[in-house]
Amino acid sequence: MARYVAGRLAGLVFLLLLVCVFTYLIFFKLSPDPALMICGKTCTPDRVAQIRASLGLDKPFLTQLWDYLSGLVAGRDYGSGPNLVHCPAPCLGYSFQSSQSVTQMIVDRLPVSATVAVGAAVLWLIVGIAAGLLSAVKEGSWWDRTAMGLALGGASIPNYVLALTLQYVLVVKLQILPFPSAVPFSEDPLLWFQSYLMPWLVLATGYACLYARLTRANVIDTLAQNFMRTARSKGLSPALTMRRHALRPALTPIVTIFGMDFAALLGGALITETVFGLNGIGKMAADSIAKNDQPVIMAVTLLAAFFVMAGNVVVDLLYTGLDPRVRVS
Amino acid sequence: MSELLVVEDLTVTFPTTRGPVDVVKDVSFTVGRNETVGIVGESGSGKSMTSLAVMGLLPPGATTRGSIRLDGVELLGRPDREMRRVRGEQASMIFQDPLSSLNPYYTVGLQIEEMYRAHRRCSRKEARRVVVEALTQVGIPEPERRAGYYPHQFSGGQRQRVMIAMALVCSPALLIADEPTTALDVTVQAQILGLLAGLQRETGTGMVFVTHDLAVISSIATRVLVMCRGEQVEYGDAEQVFAAPRHDYTRMLLESIPRIDDEVVL
Repeated sequence: MARYVAGRLAGLVFLLLLVCVFTYLIFFKLSPDPALMICGKTCTPDRVAQIRASLGLDKPFLTQLWDYLSGLVAGRDYGSGPNLVHCPAPCLGYSFQSSQSVTQMIVDRLPVSATVAVGAAVLWLIVGIAAGLLSAVKEGSWWDRTAMGLALGGASIPNYVLALTLQYVLVVKLQILPFPSAVPFSEDPLLWFQSYLMPWLVLATGYACLYARLTRANVIDTLAQNFMRTARSKGLSPALTMRRHALRPALTPIVTIFGMDFAALLGGALITETVFGLNGIGKMAADSIAKNDQPVIMAVTLLAAFFVMAGNVVVDLLYTGLDPRVRVS
Repeated sequence: MSELLVVEDLTVTFPTTRGPVDVVKDVSFTVGRNETVGIVGESGSGKSMTSLAVMGLLPPGATTRGSIRLDGVELLGRPDREMRRVRGEQASMIFQDPLSSLNPYYTVGLQIEEMYRAHRRCSRKEARRVVVEALTQVGIPEPERRAGYYPHQFSGGQRQRVMIAMALVCSPALLIADEPTTALDVTVQAQILGLLAGLQRETGTGMVFVTHDLAVISSIATRVLVMCRGEQVEYGDAEQVFAAPRHDYTRMLLESIPRIDDEVVL
């Protein structure tokens, strides 16, 4: 088991390294010269050279990449002499746009994205699984057809349409919610809740619809299994038959998908955060791309990749506990 | 011999888009205590539906007519709540494919235990003791340890032994075996048949043995019911049916058994 985990973690590090190399290649080699962008309109060649030197852009590509990677692990220094700035590990560099430490930016914004992701996940798991279960048990009924019709519709609505509609109706027209702002829970719990409510609803809608359909399909599939017939032939109560024999096989695959979806969300809900002006990782990604802020783009990409891969490892490990047929060796 | 199970004019009907279809038509047979009755027929002949009807486990939508009496008590038309007490306690069933018939997520010990505890008030400790006993009875080695195994950790024959242990854990009066040896290879098949026959001698359980394999039937059943397309084409003493089949279909079934001295046509 320990060897398996170590192997998976080594794989994770290797993949992250690959992502790092490719992202670096794309954004530092193929996009416009950041020194020119920083320098602005009234720029002299001397000034550009100076900026390039201070950013380390004058060095060969591999040296730059090495500096970046070693900065991640051990920290690095920028500039020289009196202008020397030490960036402690894990160093992701400084934003071209705001000169802030990218590591600090992530530390500040991750709680916002995490709050959005956790709240939405709780909502969509409860609603999605409950609706799916009910549909499966009452397969073909009025409820089933209505719920599945709505789920198909709900899963088809783009997030930005839903977000803007909700915002227009609830904030502008009915004025029952304030415009979202990322206040910490400790400061004003009510405002905190009101602010996050719409992002939660928007994100949860699509997922809840998908999960409802998935749960329904899995449960119906499980109910048709031979072991369900055995359970009934044993004279077990319908409640026990359902709870023990149907739910566990039916819901185990959902754990896999949830792990992936949730991990991906931790890397930022780009559209939802942008529409509601929440300063999370998603908005940071959108802003950095719009302004070609390469260190931030790098950091956001790496972070998202890390979450997805870590989510994968966690799900695989969980699976060995959830499904007795799966054993690591 | 007092009759344990009496089935009279059983008809099972399914609604289809082209109107109702009788999958079982006017089937009648009886099973005595300590007796084995074979139901034979090809796939789709209605033999499995007949046994599911006895258990009250027909798929939703199916309607039944006629009478099924177990120990003199009518089973047809009883609410599911009451049928639940019959299932497992008075009549239990084993199925064709033991791997898919056991839940892969739980240990075999738990799956036997839950059945026992559904019908008997007892502590978990007491139930565990019964489980080990049941596994010993069907010849599972190291029953204490193997009770903690999952179905996929057993061989096919052992899984069917586990199913038999489970079916018999509440000492039911009737055991319905629906093609219990079809998925097993021939030597294991013989072992399972021997086990069933031995257990029957010990417990006096009446048995309905459903199969398409006449060779198996002739070795275990005292009476045979031959079914074809939902209808009962022949019913009687096993030896008599095999020695002098009265119906063409039975003759055809008998002739279709491959024999070791058959000429091989390539």
